[in-house]
Amino acid sequence: MSKIGVFVCHCGENISATVDCAKVAETAGTYDGVAFSVDYKYMCSDPGQNIIKNAIKEKGLTGVVVASCSPRMHEPTFRKACAEAGLNPFMCEMANLREHCSWVHEKNEATTEKAIDLVRILVEKVKYNHSLNEIKVPVTKTALVIGGGIAGIQASLDIANTGHKVILIERDPSIGGHMSQLSETFPTLDCSQCILTPRMVEVAQHPNITLYTYAELESLEGFIGNFKAKIRRKSKSIDEKLCTGCGQCTTKCPVKKIPSEFNEGLGKRTAIYVPFPQAVPNKPVIDRGNCTYYIKGKCKVCEIVCPTGAIRFDQEDQIMEVEVGAIVVATGFTVKQPDFFPEYGYGKYADVITGLQFERLASASGPTLGEIRRPSDGKIPEKIVFLACAGSRDPAKGIPYCSKICCMYIAKHAMLYQHKVHGGKSYVFYMDIRAGGKQYEEFVRRAIEDDGVNYIRGRVSKIYEKNGKLIVSGADTLLNAMPVEIEADMVVLATAGVANEGAEELAQKMHISYDPYKFFAEAHPKLKPVETNTAGIFLAGACQAPRDIPESVAMASGAAVKVAGLFSQDELTREPIIAVVNRQAPPVYSSCVGCFLCVSACPYQAIEKEEIKNRNGEVIKLVAKVNPGLCQGCGTCVAFCRTKSIDIQGYTHEQMYTEVMALLNEY
Amino acid sequence: MVDLIKRAKELLESSAVKVVIGYEQGTGNKTRALFVEKTEDADKLIFDSRCIQNLAAYVTKKEVKEKGKMAIAATLPVMRSIIQLASEFQVNDNNLLVLGITPESNLIEFANLVEVETFVHQYQIEIDARNKEMLDKLAKMTSAERWKFWVDELAPCFKCYACRAACPMCYCSRCTVDFNQPQWIPVPSTELGNLEWHIMRAMHLTGRCIDCDACYNACPLSIPINLLTKRMLVDAKEHFGNYQPSLKGDNLMSTYKPDDKENFIQ
Ligand SMILES: Cc1cc2nc3c(=O)[nH]c(=O)nc-3n(C[C@H](O)[C@H](O)[C@H](O)COP(=O)(O)OP(=O)(O)OC[C@H]3O[C@@H](n4cnc5c(N)ncnc54)[C@H](O)[C@@H]3O)c2cc1C
Ligand code: SF4
Ligand code: SF4
Ligand code: SF4
Ligand code: SF4
Repeated sequence: MSKIGVFVCHCGENISATVDCAKVAETAGTYDGVAFSVDYKYMCSDPGQNIIKNAIKEKGLTGVVVASCSPRMHEPTFRKACAEAGLNPFMCEMANLREHCSWVHEKNEATTEKAIDLVRILVEKVKYNHSLNEIKVPVTKTALVIGGGIAGIQASLDIANTGHKVILIERDPSIGGHMSQLSETFPTLDCSQCILTPRMVEVAQHPNITLYTYAELESLEGFIGNFKAKIRRKSKSIDEKLCTGCGQCTTKCPVKKIPSEFNEGLGKRTAIYVPFPQAVPNKPVIDRGNCTYYIKGKCKVCEIVCPTGAIRFDQEDQIMEVEVGAIVVATGFTVKQPDFFPEYGYGKYADVITGLQFERLASASGPTLGEIRRPSDGKIPEKIVFLACAGSRDPAKGIPYCSKICCMYIAKHAMLYQHKVHGGKSYVFYMDIRAGGKQYEEFVRRAIEDDGVNYIRGRVSKIYEKNGKLIVSGADTLLNAMPVEIEADMVVLATAGVANEGAEELAQKMHISYDPYKFFAEAHPKLKPVETNTAGIFLAGACQAPRDIPESVAMASGAAVKVAGLFSQDELTREPIIAVVNRQAPPVYSSCVGCFLCVSACPYQAIEKEEIKNRNGEVIKLVAKVNPGLCQGCGTCVAFCRTKSIDIQGYTHEQMYTEVMALLNEY
Repeated sequence: MVDLIKRAKELLESSAVKVVIGYEQGTGNKTRALFVEKTEDADKLIFDSRCIQNLAAYVTKKEVKEKGKMAIAATLPVMRSIIQLASEFQVNDNNLLVLGITPESNLIEFANLVEVETFVHQYQIEIDARNKEMLDKLAKMTSAERWKFWVDELAPCFKCYACRAACPMCYCSRCTVDFNQPQWIPVPSTELGNLEWHIMRAMHLTGRCIDCDACYNACPLSIPINLLTKRMLVDAKEHFGNYQPSLKGDNLMSTYKPDDKENFIQ
């Protein structure tokens, strides 16, 4: 015979303002099997919990129903209280009187009636509860970091330095990300490559880091502590073990006119190429889409000149399976291209460029060796215009947010221009100057006051070409929208920072959520900025929103600590709320008929086939079996199974049926 | 079907199979299933337009399976059922040989189920004009009218489960209606209980029913329960793509595909 305790909480006035808590407790006390019933102001408080504990001990309760707030809030609290009093924590159920009743209804009789119903359902359910034990699962202490920009690099190094293994995969032939393309960096104007390259080399040489470049995530299965990732290592068409990185092939390759991605199209590269001189690893890949051999079937010049015979034309993509316990996603961002802007000529004016292109022009390793020369004719521009918010903060363009980094890098660009082109004139069109950050405001002031950059508050409505000049026409909103026209030699657009192409697909592969702009979503905007909603998957850098380098690095270190924290445990404890396929006495063994539709229905690949064998070891039946480590207790399989062979522990058919019947007043 | 008789004899004589499942003359003008285990009984095999019972319902039966390898005289719907059953791991090349009967009534023997699948895939599952008309009529009703239609149609059902026994997909050793802890679906025949039973049945057959009408043909009261499965066939196609039984195991309802239309939740 059950002895159930019902504990009705007022939640201050949150519940008692609309629900007659004393009546709920009194009514519950009359139910069959209820041995104790009480209401109290704050059940979650220490005295409240003590009421529960004492009742369990004194009345010998076999089940507990706490009628209070959402189980999301306090289920752990009350389960723990029960456990401390010697009752199995899974004999404790919560009726959500707050979110499901008092908060959403007026004070009246019916509201109290509903509260009573909610309690009755669970009183009946708890009669069918069974003691359950928590599940322990081991933790694979290897992390997967996806994306080798500064965020991925920092996260990898930080995790590796705690003594754990890291697998870093990077889509491009080299790690480095956008930071490797930058000239100098705000707010200190130190050379980007100079501070980045040592980190890149450290990654390559770290004994705990395995680096796979030209590699992408193919699929992901599993759960926190126990992920199985398939990685596609795209064919580089070279044998990396043999290649010494001598560069013979890249000098001799006859296809030399491919726009270089690294130089944002301002320079050219060959079909077999290393993206930039400081690349890590410093070994080439063949771009099959542009290689004469793959297009026409002959050439093989690289193979002829390679002194170590490292070229492999027939190399295929490799799919590799790795087991990891945690994942840091650091796939960064990208910027809108000028073709997004009809008002600025759809990218048809060669001298209207993006901020990233300007970085390449200003970079000592760039196509102009650091001289600011315009792409059309190589002349040094005497007048240059920078446009902030190109696309950003423009709901009409679908990008209502602020790209955050542009104000700062525009000030940097204008400054670099003034330093490099003496006597040159620079103008910045801006909406607001957003320079929040340590030394940021000072940096912008320096551009304006020391370097004489002309800041004009206003938007540019149009850019067109006239007599070899780019006419930038806008309005100065500080001068009553007075029209301004500048005859410029070059225009730099601070185009909006947007999510990577393929970000949505990647998020779906990993089952993590993303925002309307396809940036990956953090679990909580303030309190869980590096976590995702999927346990064990963390975010770092600009894949979550446009971020500058200091922020990306801070996030990466934050994510690394989360990973290290996870790896500090040998086992994770999981709730036993999982599916189980029944087993019965021979000759039936299980009511499962082995149709295995549940296998494909399970979103977590948690169901396996089990062979039931007789004494002679012959297989007599093939039935489904749930892997308790993988099952998330979603219940999809239960709904799918026609033979009703699967139950979720804690939410069995019996329990659900009882709840429904209790609601229908059949008890 | 001289060819069929000849082939059945050969297969039994050579012990390639232990039993051949086909049709024989029954009482009156009816045909019934025949299980040939002895060569001389093969002469009883017949095939004509009256042979519409779905013989695939027998290949999952313990009593038949136990005899050893089976051969089955299979019309197009039977072959479809067999492919669906194979995708659900109920039959395989080791325990079943298919003696196909084409829509033109020619005999073709398949080396394996992959060949059967290829053959089956040449034909789309088409709902006939008369039933289509009924479906349209039902779709045009208001939900209250439709509810009344089904309450009335299903009211006489006395749960003999002949429809279930006739259906090759209803091979579960424990049907949901037989599940009694708890008894989700009431045992006695009641207005609501009958609806529950038939809605459940239609749900369980969605993405699996190959539209053979065996259930309807078996029903002693000729209740048009096949309209429910047909409706599900149409709906499933609209939301999840065309249904063709397939050995790939990509069951229409249980398999998530990125190109599922799922327009009902958008
Ligand atoms: C014009 C411009 C100037 C800037 N100047 C400054 C500055 O002066 N100071 C400053 O602090 N910040 C600056 N920034 C911002 C800076 O670039 C970013 O903060 C930084 O690059 C973010 O690093 P990240 O690692 O998050 O992303 P990224 O640098 O974008 O790196 C992401 C990496 O992940 C890889 N990747 C992407 N998808 C996948 C995938 N599916 N699988 C595997 N790998 C993948 C990419 O190839 C890339 O290597 C500037 C940005 C721009 C556009
Ligand atoms: S769906 Fe049910 S009957 Fe089919 S394999 Fe899974 S547990 Fe067994
Ligand atoms: S409840 Fe069933 S479907 Fe859901 S994760 Fe567990 S085994 Fe898979
Ligand atoms: S038509 Fe009826 S008997 Fe045939 S497969 Fe569908 S439900 Fe089963
Ligand atoms: S065969 Fe007809 S009467 Fe019998 S259970 Fe099926 S629908 Fe009901």
